[in-house]
Amino acid sequence: MTQHNKISVSVNSTEKASSHFRAKGLNVVEGRTLNGDVRLRANVVIVGSGAGGSVVAYELARQGLSVLVLEAGPYVPSEKFSEDFTQSLEHLYADAGAQTNKEGDLLVLQGACVGGSTVVNACAAFRTPDFILRDWQEKFGLVGLSPESMLPYFERVEKHLSVEENGEHEIAKHSQLARQGANKLGWSVKPLKRNIRDCALTGHCLSGCKTDRKQSMLVTYLPWALASGASLYSDVMVTRVKATDGRANGVIAEVRNADGAVQANIEVSADLVVVAAGAIQSPLLLQKSELANSSDQVGRNFACHPSLFVAARYPMPVHPWRGALVGVYIDEFMLPEKGGFILEAGGLGAVELCLVTEPGTGAPFVDYMRDAKHYSGIVTLIHDHNVGRISWQDGEKRIDYALADEDFESMLAALAAAARVHFAAGAEKVFVPSTQSLQINSEAEIDQVLAELRNAPQVLRMVSYHPQGTCRMGADPANSVVSEGGECHDVAGLYVADASLFPTSIIVNPQVTVYAMASRIADQILARRDEYFSEMTG
Amino acid sequence: MAPEEQVAAAMAPLSRRRFLRWSLLASSAAIGVGVGAASWLSRSEQDQLPLPDALQHLTQSEFLLFRRATEVLLPLSGTRLASIDTVPVLHNIDAMMGLLSQSVRKELAAGLAVFDYAALVSGWHGKRFIDLDSNEAVAYFDRWSQGNSVQRALATVIKKFVYVAYWRDPATWPAIEFDGPVSDRWGLPSLGNTPMPNETANVKKEGETQ
Repeated sequence: MTQHNKISVSVNSTEKASSHFRAKGLNVVEGRTLNGDVRLRANVVIVGSGAGGSVVAYELARQGLSVLVLEAGPYVPSEKFSEDFTQSLEHLYADAGAQTNKEGDLLVLQGACVGGSTVVNACAAFRTPDFILRDWQEKFGLVGLSPESMLPYFERVEKHLSVEENGEHEIAKHSQLARQGANKLGWSVKPLKRNIRDCALTGHCLSGCKTDRKQSMLVTYLPWALASGASLYSDVMVTRVKATDGRANGVIAEVRNADGAVQANIEVSADLVVVAAGAIQSPLLLQKSELANSSDQVGRNFACHPSLFVAARYPMPVHPWRGALVGVYIDEFMLPEKGGFILEAGGLGAVELCLVTEPGTGAPFVDYMRDAKHYSGIVTLIHDHNVGRISWQDGEKRIDYALADEDFESMLAALAAAARVHFAAGAEKVFVPSTQSLQINSEAEIDQVLAELRNAPQVLRMVSYHPQGTCRMGADPANSVVSEGGECHDVAGLYVADASLFPTSIIVNPQVTVYAMASRIADQILARRDEYFSEMTG
Repeated sequence: MAPEEQVAAAMAPLSRRRFLRWSLLASSAAIGVGVGAASWLSRSEQDQLPLPDALQHLTQSEFLLFRRATEVLLPLSGTRLASIDTVPVLHNIDAMMGLLSQSVRKELAAGLAVFDYAALVSGWHGKRFIDLDSNEAVAYFDRWSQGNSVQRALATVIKKFVYVAYWRDPATWPAIEFDGPVSDRWGLPSLGNTPMPNETANVKKEGETQ
């Protein structure tokens, strides 16, 4: 069967767009409804519906371009979110929540559904630190990404996504303790900003927001893009970007059924291709397409903010699963010269508690979990170096990432700082997030216990929510993949718009940086619309 | 070379490769190096136990391993925590196994076999993990938790399967006052999609360039 679908003409007025706006849910074409050969046409095809793809989709659709968004993951309406973390891992995350580096000691958690990681993140909303942007200017020639020039983009996305500083009612017990500890130590501690409206304080951010308070792409840019005329397909895996004579002109994609067999082959013709599949899938797609890699940098420079969850036992009940998931952060050591890490106070549930540390085998573990309500946690985020690599080998993705020795020192420093905060706040015991059973019983023991750790595989229990850097942006085509405008150096009309652009890790949660860069890239595309779009599809 | 060193030596090449990225062949080699001379010891009376019909993804040897691991890792008798008899731990493990990709599943199968059979020589037990008594099994886990990277990985992954399979069950939550899902219980209304931004001033006419 051949379907010749024509993407509908985009609507070019706010009034008209509003009339197509759905108050709830998304009008998604689900891949399971497609069969045989499907041919589609659009001005712009966007691969991925996460933070980057959704923003670009809306910004281009509202300006009259026909936009098609292809998402590899399923569409899961928010009312179907379970608020059960293990079920969420299995249904909303990449590889059913089991995506790891090759050594298996770094769990890389990414959303794999319509809306991408914005659906399952903790809502922490940071602008890119000024010193990071300046570093990018100096080392990568990104003169257009100065703090001043990025400011309007930050302001725009923050306004759209209701980014506000946590109110006192959003500082849960676990965050109150971290703030108390930091204050006692004289360290800088601040309320986090989050993209959320009227937070219901369920603590289930990582399982998706069942009542649509989190301002993820699912309830913001995607419905806005669709109301502006964009189309969204779920369950569609793009396997190749098409290009002719150095000019991108579409994508090849497929839909597989439950048995893994291809049930639909999709070919999209487009004037422009935007790859926004995230810092792991985007480089894989470029590698499989054999495009944009004259620099040999596609897939290299992977960084991920490897984080540790440092749990501690307190004498009083904390119920770490209650209240807003993240409340405050400690930025005392944020500047690289002061350590290059931040600490975020965060909650967690029963399943997460049993994964973050090794209390001992048998009875010690049972004792540990019996006291679950007494634990509180602090998450460490470090400014890691871009030492990893994403590649496609033997038909599978491969994530190479081992902590650099200097990053291991940063991890230990962050871990020690988190332990100090806990003890300053009155903790009785700190559990080291390692594979061997290590506990710290007082501040005086911190250095001695941490000296047991060494930089080797399967020592620390690391989790990354922030993969980045694998199609890095830069002025020099010899050592970067994408230009400052977001277009690949090697291929005209091929843009990248996700965290793979980051030339270095940014220490803080990356969602706002992605939104802002995607907004800027949309502007760059629109500034060249006469060059790209000879006619409006319609 | 002492038996434990033999096992470690057999595993050393594996530790330089992807976590659990050993083939069945490598697994056989590891076992062969370490325990080939004592293969008769590898038999267990438990091998005769039937695999429950409800399990779709675990093999019989994996079922036996996880059954023993659950008993060792969750000694809940005398505590207020939900008894493992009331929580479908093995059924949950079976379901989680079904979610693994084919390649990872194959690697894990090999790793689990190594963990079980290596007890024949690791620690001079002379019997498989599934036949160790509780104290021996705890010591075995602890030793692997401090062993080479592959041993640490395997001890950790087995524990994770058992712990998650237990604690994901809502029956386990009341004992620790974990609230579980709350939105429906609290009657929270959905806010739906966020209204579109007012962009009237910024909208470009069709064909207009920036």
